[in-house]
Amino acid sequence: MPTEQLAYPPRMTEFTAPFWDGLREGRLSTTQCTSCAEISFPPKPLCPGCWSSDVTWIDLRGTGTLRSYTEVSAAPSMFAHEVPYTLCLVDLDEGVRCLSRVRNAWDELVPDARVEVVFREAEPAYLFEFVLFADPSTSTSEEQELP
Amino acid sequence: MEPVASVVGIGALPVGKYVDVLEHEMLAQALVQAVTDAGLSKEDIDALVFALPRPYCEQRYFGTFMAGYLDMPVDDILLEVLGNGMTGGLAFDLAVDRVASGKAKVAVALGVNREMHVPTGEHMHLSMRAVGDVDFHVPFGVTPIAWYALNATRYMHEYGLTREQLASIPVKNRRHAMLNPLAQMRKEISIQDVLDARQIVRPLGLLDVPPRSDGAVAIVVARPDIARSLGRHVDVVSRGFYHEGIHQVSSRPTDLTTFESARIASGKAYEGAGITASDLDFAEVYAPCSIVELILTESIGLFPRGTGGEAAAAGESSIGGRVPVSPSGGLASRGHPPHVTPLYNVYEAVEQLRGEAGDRQVVGAGIGAVTAELGDYNATLMHILSRPENRA
Ligand SMILES: [Zn+2]
Repeated sequence: MPTEQLAYPPRMTEFTAPFWDGLREGRLSTTQCTSCAEISFPPKPLCPGCWSSDVTWIDLRGTGTLRSYTEVSAAPSMFAHEVPYTLCLVDLDEGVRCLSRVRNAWDELVPDARVEVVFREAEPAYLFEFVLFADPSTSTSEEQELP
Repeated sequence: MEPVASVVGIGALPVGKYVDVLEHEMLAQALVQAVTDAGLSKEDIDALVFALPRPYCEQRYFGTFMAGYLDMPVDDILLEVLGNGMTGGLAFDLAVDRVASGKAKVAVALGVNREMHVPTGEHMHLSMRAVGDVDFHVPFGVTPIAWYALNATRYMHEYGLTREQLASIPVKNRRHAMLNPLAQMRKEISIQDVLDARQIVRPLGLLDVPPRSDGAVAIVVARPDIARSLGRHVDVVSRGFYHEGIHQVSSRPTDLTTFESARIASGKAYEGAGITASDLDFAEVYAPCSIVELILTESIGLFPRGTGGEAAAAGESSIGGRVPVSPSGGLASRGHPPHVTPLYNVYEAVEQLRGEAGDRQVVGAGIGAVTAELGDYNATLMHILSRPENRA
């Protein structure tokens, strides 16, 4: 199967390269301020909180809660072949919000559900998306409570 | 409640589709109508503040082109302003300010939006680049109204808003538009029609969102003493603005079920006018979708949080209700030519306050609010307009 080509690829710069390279390696990363500890998303060469340029790259766990979502049926022409797709806002466990897509069917989704990142293999860049979190510890603990 | 400036003339073309007519032909018609309505002539105008046309307008440097087209020297200032959906509101705000600050005796806020000749898919391509981070949002396929749908899903979850309650807003607005000769969408719709309409950005369907539209509007603003010598006028008594420093979405999680900028901007506007939200006789708001009107009516204090859907379903925001919202029919039914929509809001408020709104007249309208916004209501601009002699 040929590699998917993104309909609207992001621009990659020297500064953002670690983010896009990270996605290829299965890591969702961003920048954190070394002065005030604020985490920015997307990554920025300065801290939006205190405007310090002293920032460092960190890996995010890639887990969070599904704050909201919408299924897009009417899309710009370049995305028309992808509809319907579901956009989401995810609040990552590190306390930052991001816009992405969630892959599960509409009827499976509920606000505040736990989600985890998955990586969309495409060119010229990979993207990060989310799926509902299948937490094995939950089912295990339920089983343990059975007599 | 001292006026800072007064609206003395209004002109507008019916919102709709203008294919075989040029932008300047449309705007010249609205401008002449407004200046005639004011009882003024072109020599009286000191300032022209244009809503920057969208990129579909073939003629660039549109404002200066218009001055040439109309053979119109201008003393104080001539410029085009831009602020996404707020564009027309900023044009009005600046025209008011030129007058209020004593720089102009008469200023006109005006604009034309013509884009129906551009296919929808292409049009959305350009708008998505305005309402998202080009590198970190647009690659996912975000669309302008998708942001509002994210508000809708969250609001329905948090407050148990039903799809039927939400649908009562487009139905109410269509009933208003049926009484408005300027409105684009005037065929009656039912709650069921809204529920059955094809999905656009689920949970919002075709009848929850605005159509694409063309239009042209001009609003003539004058010094209050000049306005009084001209006869009929409506006063601008205050304004409030707030930009929350967010472009669509903040990386710091914020509440999706309220518009902080609207709460703050409306608070400033009410304070400037010496009123509270409950003093408003109507609000003509910038609300592209059903859910936006609902959240906005709560954010500007017309209804308590979590009750906007119930209130709309009970008719409280209908003409004849406690506080009519969007008596013009709003963006989804009057139509939505984005850069000039806020000027259509001013037009409606002036007609209401003059008592010239015909069958959709809000009885005893003495004070009203208009809003403009950009992003996901990341910024709000509110003006309070009043006609003191109408006030109870
Ligand atoms: Zn910092």
